[in-house]
Amino acid sequence: MARIDPGLHRELKKYGATGLTACMNCGNCTATCPQSTDNEVFPRRIIHFVQAGMTDKLRGSVEPWLCYYCGDCSETCPRDADPGESMMAVRRYLTGQYDWTGLGRWFYKSPAFQLTAMALTALAVVLAFYFLHGPIVTDHVALDTFAPVASIELADRIGFVILAALLLSNVIRMATWILRSDTDHPVPFALLLREFLTLPVHFVTQKKWLKCDAASEPTGRSLAARLAWLKSTRWVRHFFLVTGYLSMMILVEGALPQFQTDAIRPWFHWTRLLGYYATVMLMWHGGSFLVGRLRKSDPIHKFSTPSDWMFLVLLLAVAFTGILVHIFRLSGLPLPTYVMYVVHMAVVAPFLIIQVPFGKWSHMAYRPMGVYLAKVRQSAREKLDAAAGELAPA
Amino acid sequence: MTEKRRLGAFICHCGGNISDFVDVAAVRDAAGREDDVVVARDFMFACSDGAQAEMSELIRSEKLDGIIVASCSPKLHLNTFRGMSGRAGLNPYTYNQVNIREQCSWVHRHDTPAATAKATRLVRGGLARSRFSRPLTDLRVETVPAVLVIGAGVAGIRAALALADMGIAVYVVEREATVGGNVATWGKLFPHDRPGSEIVATLLDDLNKHPNISLFTNAELTAKSGSVGNFTVQVQLRSETISLHVGAIIVATGLEPYTPRPGEYGYGTPGVITLHEYKQLVDEATGPLTYQGKRVKTVAYIYCVGSRQGSDPDLEEPNLFCSRYCCSAACHSASLASTADPDLDQIHLYRDMRTYGRHEVLFEEAGRKGSVFMKFAGENPPTVESSDDQLTVKLRDDLAGGEQAEIPADLVVLVAGMVPRERAKLQEILRLPLSKGGFFNEIHVKLRPVETVVDGVFIAGASQGPKTVAEAVASALAAVSKSAALLLKGYIDLPPLVAKVDASKCTLCDNCFGACPYEGAITRQEVDGRQVAAISPNICKGCGGCVPVCPNEAIGVDGVTGTQVTAAIDAMMKDRVHA
Repeated sequence: MARIDPGLHRELKKYGATGLTACMNCGNCTATCPQSTDNEVFPRRIIHFVQAGMTDKLRGSVEPWLCYYCGDCSETCPRDADPGESMMAVRRYLTGQYDWTGLGRWFYKSPAFQLTAMALTALAVVLAFYFLHGPIVTDHVALDTFAPVASIELADRIGFVILAALLLSNVIRMATWILRSDTDHPVPFALLLREFLTLPVHFVTQKKWLKCDAASEPTGRSLAARLAWLKSTRWVRHFFLVTGYLSMMILVEGALPQFQTDAIRPWFHWTRLLGYYATVMLMWHGGSFLVGRLRKSDPIHKFSTPSDWMFLVLLLAVAFTGILVHIFRLSGLPLPTYVMYVVHMAVVAPFLIIQVPFGKWSHMAYRPMGVYLAKVRQSAREKLDAAAGELAPA
Repeated sequence: MTEKRRLGAFICHCGGNISDFVDVAAVRDAAGREDDVVVARDFMFACSDGAQAEMSELIRSEKLDGIIVASCSPKLHLNTFRGMSGRAGLNPYTYNQVNIREQCSWVHRHDTPAATAKATRLVRGGLARSRFSRPLTDLRVETVPAVLVIGAGVAGIRAALALADMGIAVYVVEREATVGGNVATWGKLFPHDRPGSEIVATLLDDLNKHPNISLFTNAELTAKSGSVGNFTVQVQLRSETISLHVGAIIVATGLEPYTPRPGEYGYGTPGVITLHEYKQLVDEATGPLTYQGKRVKTVAYIYCVGSRQGSDPDLEEPNLFCSRYCCSAACHSASLASTADPDLDQIHLYRDMRTYGRHEVLFEEAGRKGSVFMKFAGENPPTVESSDDQLTVKLRDDLAGGEQAEIPADLVVLVAGMVPRERAKLQEILRLPLSKGGFFNEIHVKLRPVETVVDGVFIAGASQGPKTVAEAVASALAAVSKSAALLLKGYIDLPPLVAKVDASKCTLCDNCFGACPYEGAITRQEVDGRQVAAISPNICKGCGGCVPVCPNEAIGVDGVTGTQVTAAIDAMMKDRVHA
């Protein structure tokens, strides 16, 4: 028995939901959804949880993370209630809920607050460089002297640990809520371990997304047809964007001394190739998503909240300033290199600090976690049902 | 034996409905051998144009003075063949129908010889009845061009105006001191937001201007006598009783909003009110709603209160009907409330949303304006609890997969349906049958929706069942057209198949008075210096209820006289069958 919050749908409006109460629960959205299953039934039920103000049920729902916003539901909706966008708003809301610091909720609900926080972080970065930078060598590019790689790497590691800890703590809250919501099917710890591989697999591949396009998947063996199909999916663009991120992460977190160096390596050196690859992927796909949002060409891009714009603009700014640092360095321009380096850091730091644990970027953890938890719960159900079947009299 | 007759016997195959199980040729031949039968034929479909033309031709060429058609139930084609007889120059009442389909072929599919024998006997009986048939003429009754309308609600007034426009005098009798009924008490009505009081004011204005309408308020019908086209009614006014002559009566007594039982969904607790009461709150609101001085932030509506009670085992006489208007009215009220206060949280607990037809837009509008809908099953109704000034509605939300929900509410609105008005007295005077829900009943729900079993008495508006204003007015105008069709011609032809008393045999034992279901049909009359029973042909329906109770066999019904019935039975029971 749960006391409902009649104002929940008004709260969700602040996260970008548009047609919540226009929904009459007909269920066409669920019928058309390629991801909805017998056990994870959505979007209708999730939207009704919001309508009915069932906060606990909503927090314990894994379904929003199984939706990749293909938009079929919004196109099918007889009331034009935009169920796809409602699901998106629920994901933003949940991101805010999982975050125990409460900052995430503020960032989503107040773009001004988010901008101010980012500006302050950027300012802090600039001030840190202003006061702490090393000697400025002007006759040649000596970035390592201006910003010693050891110090940067240390800051990098500290940042990584803090952000990972924040995100992890949020993920644990998420998992606890979701696992506790289904009291009929408790999940034994052994099961959590047994299915653990799901987590990295889906983190890297996001392969569940392809189910959204299953209807157009070619049935024959033709590799050309299969590639053409893959090329048409939204998954493929996102996947390559992710490979860009991962490349950058390897360079920055794993190989900074090789990456940030005053030595000019040959163009085919692996750090340069990986860096170019990452830059191309970030700018190409980040740019195409930005154009998509401007043109509202895909259902997923029909509605854009300030947080969506900020994410893409920052992503492009990171790639753009990064490549400028590289160009200035190769061109032997010391001062522009140092200035652009500071600018680059002043974009990267707020982007990571705000978006990874509190904002849109946190979905990199919540999505694979959602797939994993759904799978674990499914196994628990099957196990219990099988046990019940054995116990039942013949 | 009687005079010679020239009878025709026509046997129908009804496609194969009859001839697949009955040897029609054998029946036809047997009929041909009966006394006085000059022509016997069989037809694939007797009701077809071709067959009717052929029968008409035979009636003329063979100079027939009576025919039978052995086919389906008289319910289906008695009037068809009566009409055909009339057009062919034969008195329609010499026609007799023999039912060898419903009462023979369809029920004896397994045994053709027996079915054929039975059909033959039935045909013989029909022919025997025809042998004693007499030409009869319709009873013509002059009609009074005036109508009594009972009830001055929207339906009653609209009916009165329409009748008066056709030049018919109208007497409108209203029990209350004011007119307009329920509608006058309602504010903005769906779908056009025009207040009910304004609608009534417009109608009343027209009514007062009309010279053909007399309106009596504080008035009640106390007695009715006479028959269709010629009623005399007594109307009790405040200080006197007046007598009026009318040709027809329209009953438009309307509805009563359902009042929940004490404790039903918490009714009686402060904050638990009916939609009717809530509507007044909304109509008066210019900003956020207030109830007993406190701002209302959350409203919970509970639908189907007093309607569709079939799943409530505690009720002796549950209202099984849907009240039709309440879903639309609740959604409309919610939209009005949202307009007054966009921040108002509104939760609708419903069973099935029946905003039928064009009212669907009201349901959608309520949602778009912020109303939330939660569904419950009839056998799992919500409960309302109250503690410390806070109402809590508990329900099993089927749309959330059966989740139990506790809804905190400042106001609980019971969306109550309609029930019939107190009508015992009126029903006694008019002798109108009631439907299962206790409303006045029509003859045929689809094809004769405003006529009643009492000729000349029509029903209109919500007296017949829950209706919206638009539906009430539509039915009122249907009653207008039926009564005007009756009265504008100036006369009515009634079938002459009525009971008659042989005054010489009557001893005035009074038995027939008790057996007759029609008020005033049998009266005492002096014939040759003797008091005897007499039957008014205008009121009598020819049901025959008085015939068997008469110890002197003084009563007979024309068309089915004792002689005819006896002859028919004798003929059917005759030993030898020629088949």
